[in-house]
Amino acid sequence: MPELVPPLPSSATLVAQNIAKSFASGRLTTPVLSNLSVSIDAGELTLISGPSGCGKSTLLSILSGLQTPDAGHVMALSESLQTMDSHRREAFRLHHTGFVFQGFNLFPALTAREQVRLPLQYLDLSSQEIDRRTDESLEEVGIAHRHHLRPAELSGGEKQRVAIARALAKLPALLFADEPTSALDAASGQVIIDLLHRIARAHGTTVLCVSHDPRLISHADRVLTMEDGRILNDSRQLTPHRPQDRRASC
Amino acid sequence: MVSLARKTLIHEWRRFLPATLAVGFSTLLQLLQAALVLGIFGGAAVYINDSSADIWIGYPGTQAIDLGRAIDGDVASLLDMNHEVTRVEPFYLLDGDWRGGHGTGGVSVYISGISTQPGGMMFARVLTPVLRAKLTYPESVIVDPADLTKLGVKVGGTAAINGHLVRVVATAPGLRALGGVDILASLQTARLLDSSAGEAGGPTYLVARLRHPANAGRVVADLNGHTGFGRYHAWTAPQFARRSVLFWLFNTGAGAGVLFLAVVVFAVGAIITSQALVAAVAASVNEYATLNALGVGRRQLRWVVLEQAFWVGACGVILASVLAGLLIWLAQSENVPVAVSVPVLSACLVLVMVLVGISGLMAMRTLRRADPATLLR
Repeated sequence: MPELVPPLPSSATLVAQNIAKSFASGRLTTPVLSNLSVSIDAGELTLISGPSGCGKSTLLSILSGLQTPDAGHVMALSESLQTMDSHRREAFRLHHTGFVFQGFNLFPALTAREQVRLPLQYLDLSSQEIDRRTDESLEEVGIAHRHHLRPAELSGGEKQRVAIARALAKLPALLFADEPTSALDAASGQVIIDLLHRIARAHGTTVLCVSHDPRLISHADRVLTMEDGRILNDSRQLTPHRPQDRRASC
Repeated sequence: MVSLARKTLIHEWRRFLPATLAVGFSTLLQLLQAALVLGIFGGAAVYINDSSADIWIGYPGTQAIDLGRAIDGDVASLLDMNHEVTRVEPFYLLDGDWRGGHGTGGVSVYISGISTQPGGMMFARVLTPVLRAKLTYPESVIVDPADLTKLGVKVGGTAAINGHLVRVVATAPGLRALGGVDILASLQTARLLDSSAGEAGGPTYLVARLRHPANAGRVVADLNGHTGFGRYHAWTAPQFARRSVLFWLFNTGAGAGVLFLAVVVFAVGAIITSQALVAAVAASVNEYATLNALGVGRRQLRWVVLEQAFWVGACGVILASVLAGLLIWLAQSENVPVAVSVPVLSACLVLVMVLVGISGLMAMRTLRRADPATLLR
């Protein structure tokens, strides 16, 4: 990865104001988020936790521009996501955001290295730059020695690290992770959350993670607790569990 | 450059095999059908294609060569006056009733009365000078070897046409016509066998060779501009051959059947191909959604599906072309009427790729399900 930069001063890169979202099923309309405001800072790992159905994944999809709110505004990197058409939003995501999902979602036909290269091909980069970023991302997540393997030959933790490398190689300012450890055993989950924390610190990336896994709380810089579409508690941890210094291995 | 389409195609080849085979068999059927149509219906123009004449003169409005009527022999003098024309021959095409014996009953035949002069144009590509010379003996005829059984006769044997005795003096392969048996005879023998002799008396066609065959179009236009030489119309040889083939293809019902079969083959190919592509896209819908979440546009994802369709098509077409080549060679060696025309076969391959493109477009609709918001649980 490029040279390490010191954590950015606390500054909001993601701001949601009075957002609301509801889903209709037949005649029934279920409110999921109601009048919610929040701002997320760069350079730290923010965890949204709460029980299933509390609206945390919906909040993540709105903050990342995958869905639009029924009401309210979202500013990402000082740009209003609502004013963008779908093409502009795709371009914004291409240049500024990375995603890590619970299900890894890796193409069965591609090796780890090709999984990471693929999205980079859609950025206007030279092949040398693509190679450099691919190698550095795989190195950073500790999977460089497994670069030639396809998903079927990797463990769950390794697959998730490839997925993180794929997101990381784009050098995103915003990194969204949805239940990144839910499908993993404890040790692998520990490695993944350490990795996300280190990315936030080392690259000044805004890392927003959604999880109902209580083990992650101690690793986050900031924890937003949600229930019934509202943020009940916003706590900042002064001394979160530090990411381990060693390279990830699981 | 990582080609997602190609990598997926190779890695998951079993998934794409049905589509490749569907395209392959569609292509194979189209190619063989085209070769058979060209071979069978090309028989309608066998008189033209087996001859070296550049220009054909016949009765106005003649739709196919076997539907000709007698024309006024004076037209020959008009041809003689044209400086481009180097040689003119009459050609008699008559109906006959063949009685060969050996329990074959009556067989309808076409009698071709041709010039036996050395260098004659009619059937120049089928008859050697020796064979042509054999026709000079009165009542001599030549038939296709494949028709001997049907005619109930052997080389050297005799039969009767329209009540007149004829003798089969030789055989020549390549005379099989569509809808009847071709019998070659000299002009004199043909006139002798003509059951309607005395009604018009003129030849059915006049054929001419030009000094510069490339000028055929201009000469034909010039000839058709004259009046006063009776009722006639001139065509270039390719024009008249095409006219005859198209008549048989589209006005006999056989052509409609062939076209109907082509549409069915295309539809089946398109459905199987698109279903296989849809299944392939559906199986990776979460991965496509992830790429879209990472900012790879839907337009670029559609290209991946189209590229996949293209490779499926290319593999199928190559497979089918090799098989078709082998089968056409086998058919030709077994005297099955098949013919190869590069433009027609190319058109078949282009049509198949269009089919594949349409299948790709149908499969693209599955990408609508690749909504990254659905990945968040």
